[in-house]
Amino acid sequence: MNPLDIDIRLTRGAFRLEAKIRAPGDGITVVFGPSGSGKSSLLSAIAGLAPCEGHVRLGREVLGDSAVDLHMPPNERGIGMVFQDARLFPHLTARQNIAYAFKRSPAHKRRDIGEVARFFDIAALLDRPVNNLSGGEKSRVALARALVAAPDFLLLDEPFAALDGLRRRAFIQVLLDMHARFALPMLVVTHNIDDAAALASYLVALRDGQVAAAGPFDQATREPGFAALLDPRDSGAAASGILLHSGAETGQKYLWLRADHIVLATERPVAISARNILEGEVESVRAEQDGSRLVELKTSVGVILSRVTEEAVAELGLTPGRRAWALVKVHALQH
Amino acid sequence: MLSAAEAQILSTSFSVASLALLWSLPLAIACAFLLARQFPGKFLLDGLVHLPIILPPVLTGFLLLLLFGRNGPIGHWLEQVAGIHVAFTRQGAALATAVMIFPMLVRASRIAFEALDPRLLEAAAVLRAGPLDRFFSIALPLAGPGILAGAVTAFAAGMGEFGAVITFAANIPGETQTLPLAIYAVLQQPGGESEAMRLAGLSFTLAMSGLIGAEFLQRWMTRRLKG
Repeated sequence: MNPLDIDIRLTRGAFRLEAKIRAPGDGITVVFGPSGSGKSSLLSAIAGLAPCEGHVRLGREVLGDSAVDLHMPPNERGIGMVFQDARLFPHLTARQNIAYAFKRSPAHKRRDIGEVARFFDIAALLDRPVNNLSGGEKSRVALARALVAAPDFLLLDEPFAALDGLRRRAFIQVLLDMHARFALPMLVVTHNIDDAAALASYLVALRDGQVAAAGPFDQATREPGFAALLDPRDSGAAASGILLHSGAETGQKYLWLRADHIVLATERPVAISARNILEGEVESVRAEQDGSRLVELKTSVGVILSRVTEEAVAELGLTPGRRAWALVKVHALQH
Repeated sequence: MLSAAEAQILSTSFSVASLALLWSLPLAIACAFLLARQFPGKFLLDGLVHLPIILPPVLTGFLLLLLFGRNGPIGHWLEQVAGIHVAFTRQGAALATAVMIFPMLVRASRIAFEALDPRLLEAAAVLRAGPLDRFFSIALPLAGPGILAGAVTAFAAGMGEFGAVITFAANIPGETQTLPLAIYAVLQQPGGESEAMRLAGLSFTLAMSGLIGAEFLQRWMTRRLKG
C-alpha cells in the first residue's frame, strides 16, 4: 500500500502547525501528543477538511499542493476518517449508515456489508436507530462504515477516547484485527502511551505544532524530544511484544514498560516467575529532575528503563557495562 | 355550511398559497443554506431576503407591477417569449404571495440549517459524498422538520396575504380573490359585516390550524428522524 507523505503548515489563530511526516503504507502510525499539540488539525489537513499550505501525497498521487494551488476536496481523496465522536448520521439506522458508505465506494473495491458487520460483531444491531446504540457499539459501526467506504488510508482521531478500560482494550484489539485482516494502512491519534504502544509500528510525536520525534516506535520513543512529552510517571521504554502475553497472538508489536514498574537486581533472582525476568546490560544512568535515576538496560526485548534511587545506583554499582536483571510486574503491563 | 361563493374563495386561497409555496420554497431553501454559512457579501443577500418584510406590501406589489406588468422588463419578455400574462391573474397572486412568504421560509430553513451539526457534513465528505450529495443526503433530511414546519406556517400566512396581492393581481372573484381580499370586498358593500364575520372566522381557523399543524408536524418528524 502507498505511504502518506505530508509536509504542511497551517495557522489557527495563535496556533501554528508545521509537520513533515511520512506514514508508511504497511503498518499503523500513531500520532502522539498532548491536547493542543495539533493532532486533530493534522488529520483534518490530511483529509482535506481544513485548508493548509504545503503538500499531502498518497504514494504518487498528489492530494494537495499549495505550490500549484491544488486542493483536492475530501470526497475525492480516498482518505477515510473515524472521529472521536463516531458522527453517525442520526436520521439513518446503523445499516443505512454503512450502506451510505457502500453506495459511494468505488465499485471494484466494494466490501460485503454482511461480512464487515460480522467482523465487527454488529450484525445484530444493524437495524437499530443509531441513537439507541451504546458508545462502544457506535464506535464499531463507525469503524465498519469507514471500512466499507474502502479508503486507501484510514485516519482515526482518538476513536476510543470515550471508552473506558475494558471496552477500550477490546476496541484496540478490534483495530489491530482490522488492520491485519483488511491490510488497511492507518494513522491513529492518541494521547495515551499504552494505547500508542499497543497500536504502533511507527510513531509521530507532536508538541506545540512541531514534530518532536518520529520513526519506528521503539526508536522514536528513545529520542530526547519524546521523553519531554510524557508525564514523568509514564517514563519508560517500548519493549517488542514477544514478552508476557500468555499465548494468544494479539498482533500487538510493542508494550510500554514504565520505569516505575521495573525493579533491578545485579544477581539473577531466584524463586520468582522466570518469565518476568529480563537479563541485560546497563547502557547509561541519568539523573531526573526529582533526584531519581533512570537506568537504561539493554535486553533481548529492547532497551528498557528502570527508575531507581540515587542510593540504589551507588549500592548496586549500576554503571554502564554492568550486568543486571530487570523484574517486570506483569499486571503493570495490562493497563 | 359554505356557500358556493365561499367555497370558491377558499379554493382560490388554497390554489394561490400552494403555487406560492411551490415557487418560493426551493429558492428559500437554497438561500437559507447559503446564509447558514460565511461568504463575502452575505449581509447583502441577507438584507435583500428580508426586504419584503420591511417594505410596505403595497410597495412590493407596485414593484412587481413595474417588473412583471405588461410594460415591465420581465412581464414584456414573458409575453413575447411564452405569451404569459402574470399581472392580474391567479399566477400573479401566487407570485406576489411567494415574494411575501419568502422571508418567512428563509428564516425557518436557515434556523434548521444552523442547528445542523457541520461535523456530520465532514463525516459525509470523508465517505466520498460531494457537496451536492451532502446537501441532499444529510443537510436536507436533517433540516427537514424545521423547513416543513416553516412551510406549513408560510402556507397559512400565504392564504392571508393582502397588500401585495391586491396591488399586483387585483381583486377578481374566482381568479385572484383570496380570503382577505373577499373580506375587504364584502366590507365595501353596505350590510356586508355578517358575511365578513363568517369569512374572518374561516380565515382565523385556517391560520390557527396551520400554526398548530406546523408544531405537531415538527415534533413528529423530529422524533422520527432522531430515533
